[in-house]
Amino acid sequence: MGTFKTENPGNAPVWVNTDNCKACDICVSVCPSGVLGMRYEKTSTLGAMISIDHPEACIGCNECELSCPDFAIYVADPKEYKAAGFSFAKLTDDAKARQMLVVENNYMSLDVQGVK
Amino acid sequence: MAFNYDKYLRLEKMPTLWCWGCGDGVILKAFVRAVEKMGLNQDDVCVVSGIGCSGRFSSYVDFNTVHTTHGRTVAFATGIKLMHPDKHVICVAGDGDALAIGGNHTIHGARRNIDITLIIINNFIYGLTNSQTSPTTPQGMWTVTQKAGNIDPTFDACALGIAAGASFVGRESMLDPKKLEKILIKAMEHRGFSFLDILSNCHINLGRKNKMVSAMENLSWIDSITTPKKKYDTLTEAEQLNIFPTGILKQDTEVREYCDMYKDIQDVQQKKRAIITQDDFAKKI
Repeated sequence: MGTFKTENPGNAPVWVNTDNCKACDICVSVCPSGVLGMRYEKTSTLGAMISIDHPEACIGCNECELSCPDFAIYVADPKEYKAAGFSFAKLTDDAKARQMLVVENNYMSLDVQGVK
Repeated sequence: MAFNYDKYLRLEKMPTLWCWGCGDGVILKAFVRAVEKMGLNQDDVCVVSGIGCSGRFSSYVDFNTVHTTHGRTVAFATGIKLMHPDKHVICVAGDGDALAIGGNHTIHGARRNIDITLIIINNFIYGLTNSQTSPTTPQGMWTVTQKAGNIDPTFDACALGIAAGASFVGRESMLDPKKLEKILIKAMEHRGFSFLDILSNCHINLGRKNKMVSAMENLSWIDSITTPKKKYDTLTEAEQLNIFPTGILKQDTEVREYCDMYKDIQDVQQKKRAIITQDDFAKKI
């Protein structure tokens, strides 16, 4: 039985449910600011698992959540997140450059070498 | 707290059986969000699906659901809608389901303009049964039934919908979930037959032998063959070749809906009105 984990696990802008993730790379590809990346994970079907490398750069655009086919990634509700005293980051050139590098690195996190 | 999907899905069926990166999941998510945005009661929605990967759609959503025989989604849905004209009936079918084996039902559902939303998940291949040529498989692609390359001319699903008389015809791809959600809302709100051709990916069974091994490669191919309708209209005929326009392609609110016309028959039977004659119709033939 799958669980959804729609509850924020502790004031995170974006969080994942690794039970549902099938490592398809779609969320990594749609992120504009290089928040996400893939890491090797032996127990996963495709040998990789999503990882949130730079949560501080999340701009809350919700693209990853909407594009995920498997209900595995969630973005905080902007109103609730702001009410809790947090705010999403602004899209910076650094973040855009990092995203380009992640895509060039075959959607793997920048400190991981090779393809999955 | 993120968007609460739990309310609309059968959690005991999760995670989905679809392959990694399958567009069906994105369409499922957009549909659930559309229903939430419209504020519909779960008991007022009926999801009817056929056979194929898209057929699993009805197992995952916690509405009234019917998992029907191959290609007969529109036929079952017509019966449901006539019995319950106040409910929202949504058909989910694949390209093989709606255009090949169920092509006839699709045409006549559209012709009657009955208030059903038909979502065709078009992944250009028979995915569930491992890559046989479907009516929308592009010419020249490899399939297990056309190993020398597919020579069959392809179907333009939306052109079929328009010609058959559907009063709402739209096309969108799963690449842009926000637009997808909007067009789903418009289609469900439209009173009459809503025909949606939603382009999706099948990198496993279409892509593997056609140089699109990963979900991302398949999606960028879909991106390369679609363009918004406004931009499409400005293109020359040569440029329009091999490009699908996306967005709302037809919307006609003037045509009478079938359940309304059926009410006339009930009135005749209950002797509330005289028998229906040709004078009742502006367009008779």
